[in-house]
Amino acid sequence: MRFETSIALRYLAASRRRAHVALIATISIVGLAVGVAALVVSLALLSGFQDRIRRQMAERTAHLTVSPERGVLLPDPEAARRALAALPGVRSIVPILEGRGWASDVDGTSTYPVRFRTRAGGGSGEAAAPDDASLARPLASRLRVAEDGLVRLTSSRTRLSPVGPIPVSAVLRVAQIRRSSAFENTAEIEVSEETARILTGVPGGAHSLEAVLDDPERAEAAARQLAAKLPAGYRVATWRERNAPLAFALRLEKVVIFVTVALVIVVAALNIVSNIALTVVEKKRDLGVLTAMGAAPGSLLRIYLTLGAIIGSLGTAAGVALGVGISAAADRFHLVPLPADVYMLTHVPFAIHPGEVAACAAFALATAVAAAVLPARAASRLAPGEAIRLSR
Amino acid sequence: MIAIKADNLSRTYTGEGAPVKVFSHLSFEVPAGTFAAVMGPSGVGKSTLLHLIGGIDRPDEGRVEVFGQAIDELPPRLRARFRNEKIGFVFQFHHLLPEFTAEENVAMPHRIAGVPKSEALRMAGEILARVGLADRRAHGARALSGGEQQRVAIARALARGPGLLLADEPTGNLDAASAQAVFDLLRELHAERGMTTILVTHNPDLARRCDRLFTMTREGIAAAQGLSERG
Repeated sequence: MRFETSIALRYLAASRRRAHVALIATISIVGLAVGVAALVVSLALLSGFQDRIRRQMAERTAHLTVSPERGVLLPDPEAARRALAALPGVRSIVPILEGRGWASDVDGTSTYPVRFRTRAGGGSGEAAAPDDASLARPLASRLRVAEDGLVRLTSSRTRLSPVGPIPVSAVLRVAQIRRSSAFENTAEIEVSEETARILTGVPGGAHSLEAVLDDPERAEAAARQLAAKLPAGYRVATWRERNAPLAFALRLEKVVIFVTVALVIVVAALNIVSNIALTVVEKKRDLGVLTAMGAAPGSLLRIYLTLGAIIGSLGTAAGVALGVGISAAADRFHLVPLPADVYMLTHVPFAIHPGEVAACAAFALATAVAAAVLPARAASRLAPGEAIRLSR
Repeated sequence: MIAIKADNLSRTYTGEGAPVKVFSHLSFEVPAGTFAAVMGPSGVGKSTLLHLIGGIDRPDEGRVEVFGQAIDELPPRLRARFRNEKIGFVFQFHHLLPEFTAEENVAMPHRIAGVPKSEALRMAGEILARVGLADRRAHGARALSGGEQQRVAIARALARGPGLLLADEPTGNLDAASAQAVFDLLRELHAERGMTTILVTHNPDLARRCDRLFTMTREGIAAAQGLSERG
């Protein structure tokens, strides 16, 4: 152990005998601990929600999408399907057809403009009858239909009849009413491939192909492989790329929370400044004596930086323990319940990410050391002769 | 060989009030191996002179050389090393570090020099034994008597085997018996180690027992042979 560390440790230990210094040191440590704990808990709370969102995003959306670079239909859907099927870890491939139209109850009393598409590969994809449909909950509410009820879906496409062009429509059974959320980029109505072909007037081919992977984390690697295999004219997108705005919003949310709550740590660090400044003033004579013994100005600087680092370490360690403990307990024992009929969750989830905890700890420690810089520099610039002369 | 050569030294303190001229244009020399005393009235600048010689203060004018080295002209790191290796300080109020034991205080100059802790403590133990405090090594600085604290301070000043010992009224805060014991110890160690010692004192009896006596006044510094040189 360097002598600077020994001195810093003794100063901190001996501060117990000096009530005012001990009080400020305790406030510094407790303040930092509270700040770090608040930051850890805030990020764990946010991560808990965001992890759920990401998990649902990965579950409900297709992981790979192949779409035409120009036009609306894939140039060679079969070739694209074969290329997709050749990738390792592809669980399912679904041709996607989509269009716009109007949904109404069978009496025709309520009609709303909607988007429809074939059932997505990633989501609620159990085998369905050709006239089955899956409705988003808000639309089902507006149409006042329940599961097993009927809806009429009218396409914006028309067909010629002896009396002129008439809209193409289909009566569908509501097989499922889906909870929808902001991150779902799906249409209000999902229909079978057969129905979609009738409504869109596309007898063969597809607007795009969607694939679900065994491991969504491999989507980027799979996309690179696929892009290398496919000829020009195709665009390959991963689920992360398609949800990039949402992912960015989630990251931004976390950064804003970090910066905001980290201000508590910065305020706590001001206590460290006063604690160390007070110690410098009290130990002025010792600084002069150490200089007389041959300590260089850099050593005096290191004594007080080390003191700041020790106070920072104690506060940070306590804060991390407290924050992780609170988060783990809140998640394990469901300490913050939510009304399940309003939210999709029964309790507020907390997720502890070691990387985020490490970032909190590093920030707190760096702030504590930075807080010590100013008084430490003052200590290193002290005139030793004057310090000894004036402290007789 | 000349241990200390001071040439035209001047020092004025500038603080919140009017500048206070401590002394001006002091010049003197101290041969190596001398045990010299500095006497003079309070406020004449005796301590300041020691601080200038030891490089923990800077003259406004003039130059001081210690063993041929103008300490003031060295960069901070080398100046610190020079002090660590060549100069030992003893202060009137011992100025031990109160958070450390006697042994740790004496080991501190070694620790500053980068000596490993165990080795530094071993060497500190040896010199503490030499000043008669082997049984007090683990005591905190506050647990020692005034005389013991000053002996620890002497041991600390001599820890690195300096060629120059600067003692600023080391007996000024002690009773007569302790003062005599501390002076005798300084005298013995000076003889044993062949170093140069400058002792600031108000005690004329002790001063007379030194090799050389410098008397400081507002007007300057005058050297006279001490009792030992006079034989």
